[in-house]
Amino acid sequence: MKKILIVDDEKDIVETLSFMLKAKGFECICAYDGEIGLSMAKNESPDLVILDVMMPKINGYKICRLLKFDNKYKDIPIIMITARSQDEDKIIGEETGADEYITKPFEFSEVLEKINKYLNV
Amino acid sequence: MTKVYLLLGQAEDNINISQTLVNSGFEIMQAEGLVEDVLLQINNFLPDLIVLDSNIDNCEFIIRQIKSVSQNQNMQIILLLDKNSSCDFIGLADGLIEYPLNQDVLLAVLNSHLKIKKSLDRLYENNKELSKSLYQLNVLYNTSSQFAGTLNTDKLYDIMIEAMEKTLSFDISSVLVFSSSSKPVFNLNTMYMPSENLVNALKIRSLLNYKSMFSNFEIPRIFEYNDIEVFQKTKQMRSNQVFGLESISFDSLFAPIKVGDDFFGVVELFRKIPFTQEDVTCFQAITHQVALPLRSAKLYEEITITNKKLEKLEKLKSEFVSIVSHELRTPLTPINNSLEIVLNEQAGAISPEAKNFISMAKRNIQRLSGIIEDLLDLSRIQTGKLDYKYKLVDITPSLELLQKTFLQVAIQKNIKIDLKINDKLPEIYADIRRIEQIFSNLVTNALKFTQDGGTISVEAGITDAKDIDLNKLVMSKIVPSGKYVKISVKDTGIGIKKDDIPKIFDKFSQIESSLNRNKGGVGLGLTITKQLIDSHLGAIWVESEEKKGSCFNVILPFADELKVFEMDLMHNLTNNPDTGIIKINFDPKLNLIEKLKENNLLNFSCLSREVLFKNNGMNTYIVFIPKISEGSFEAIFATLSEYCQKIKEAENLGEYDIMLKKLYCFNKIYDIGLVTKL
Repeated sequence: MKKILIVDDEKDIVETLSFMLKAKGFECICAYDGEIGLSMAKNESPDLVILDVMMPKINGYKICRLLKFDNKYKDIPIIMITARSQDEDKIIGEETGADEYITKPFEFSEVLEKINKYLNV
Repeated sequence: MTKVYLLLGQAEDNINISQTLVNSGFEIMQAEGLVEDVLLQINNFLPDLIVLDSNIDNCEFIIRQIKSVSQNQNMQIILLLDKNSSCDFIGLADGLIEYPLNQDVLLAVLNSHLKIKKSLDRLYENNKELSKSLYQLNVLYNTSSQFAGTLNTDKLYDIMIEAMEKTLSFDISSVLVFSSSSKPVFNLNTMYMPSENLVNALKIRSLLNYKSMFSNFEIPRIFEYNDIEVFQKTKQMRSNQVFGLESISFDSLFAPIKVGDDFFGVVELFRKIPFTQEDVTCFQAITHQVALPLRSAKLYEEITITNKKLEKLEKLKSEFVSIVSHELRTPLTPINNSLEIVLNEQAGAISPEAKNFISMAKRNIQRLSGIIEDLLDLSRIQTGKLDYKYKLVDITPSLELLQKTFLQVAIQKNIKIDLKINDKLPEIYADIRRIEQIFSNLVTNALKFTQDGGTISVEAGITDAKDIDLNKLVMSKIVPSGKYVKISVKDTGIGIKKDDIPKIFDKFSQIESSLNRNKGGVGLGLTITKQLIDSHLGAIWVESEEKKGSCFNVILPFADELKVFEMDLMHNLTNNPDTGIIKINFDPKLNLIEKLKENNLLNFSCLSREVLFKNNGMNTYIVFIPKISEGSFEAIFATLSEYCQKIKEAENLGEYDIMLKKLYCFNKIYDIGLVTKL
């Protein structure tokens, strides 16, 4: 079973997303702030990370950079969730090495499509 | 009393002189001692008249010595001379009396010379006054030009004090004024170090002076002794002399600094030597002079503050929109997801009615996010944050995709969507996402306002500027020229009232017109559409008949070199409103420079390789300095005055014609609102 880490301080988003992902047969682990998210990404060896941009303690961009510029973790696909949908944000997303981004509010089908692209389910 | 100094020899006649003079009411002093003593005595006694016996030793030397002292210039020297004797220094004396002396003659001569002395003294005094007045006038004149040169309040007060010091040489000046923060400030300038008591006394005095200007209820700013901030300046810090409390009894001048109802403060001067009438006039002139520029400075300050506030508000507004949109999106996400879970029956089976209502909720969530998206887009367009990614693109696939996208919704509403592409469309220079947004907005609108069974036809083709009816273009920023791709979206909907047509591209136009309220949306779609089209140097217009339908026509320019250049330019101007210099990168393959040269728009031989473009705002021009080797342009904004200066220079060089030609080379467009910040 593929393991997906969801990091977002919005608990409702995490709950609904993990519910839907579990229904599709994924194993989900969740973190509600950047610090825990980063340590889980390093220690729980997820197959994919879904990462919110705006979070307390460490923001999503930073986590993404820390993971993508570390040879140990750089192969874990990262999907960023952004609320702003501004081009500058998207560019930063690309610069930080994120593999994909989705804009709030998103359709589950959109998320699923992007996950499947990386996990070959 | 008239003072007479007597320097007499042993002659018999001399014996009675002093008695005669005393009897006639003169104050006399008899010379004693050597020549040096005599001169010293004269200096101390300061006589009006000197009576000198020509027979005494060193007489000539003594006269010369007396006359050489400037304060003795007016003293009248009367020489006593033996009858028929000759004396070669007679010319040095002011008057002569011969021996033997006659009392009456002596008194007559002395009295007439006394009159001369008095006249001379008056003349001297008048002269002194005149030169002082002249000096004061001169200072006043210089001061007025200094006043005109600044809008800085503190500097204005400094100039005022300096002028007063020059013209009135006061010992103490105390000025009570209000700084910009409305805090009262007490400026004390003194010649010598003031005692603490004096400073406090002057402070109280200026406060009382201030309050005395107004009746109790009309004091513009109420404050107390302790609120006053004191600034002290002493001219002769090192002097041992100190100003104590007694200085307050010096002669003083007081005046308010005000013009009309604008009150700025009070100023008071103290001087040991009493002030003259001229001093008073001069003092008043200076206090009047400073008030006017102070008012200008105050107004200027107010305008600056208001401007800053407005700028901040504008920024806050756009930030507010952006933050609100962001905050709205976040809760929408779990709502949407939860509805999806329920709808897909992942959380258990639901009834068909429940499914219907959940679908309804989900549809409306999508609508809501569409509105948020529009708001964000508009806020970005207005703040120049919308980033266009221009490329050469073919729009045909986008139109085909558009038809497919809307087919589903159209079928639901029983509306037909036709697509007709008349010509082989050339590539245009555009941001394809934005072009798709334009068409999608127009089709969405058409669907919204068309009833069941209607038809929407999208038609694309090529058109020429001369075939476009310019009267139909609503508030277009461009004057069309050359060839365009034209796309029309025609519906058989409710149409638009003739009166409403000019308004439909305004922000929130739907909110204002209650007629269409039930159609949903906040009326930003067309506003955004128009702005996007403007950015692409295109135009939009609508033909409509009520109850029969509307036809929205969009034209987008062929991607010729100049159009591409202008779009890049405009994009840069919009995105860099704060910078004076912008860079425009262009594709060397476009041969822009060659094209400009061909059209005689660029002549490198003149004006240090600058090219001027006209701006439709009439007062902002842009100067380009091409840097061909680097494949970029640098543009520097120039104001009209700078431009006129350049015209003048060009005229002197005989290159006026070339300048004008260039000035009108682009018959367009740049939004003045975005370019004015220099």
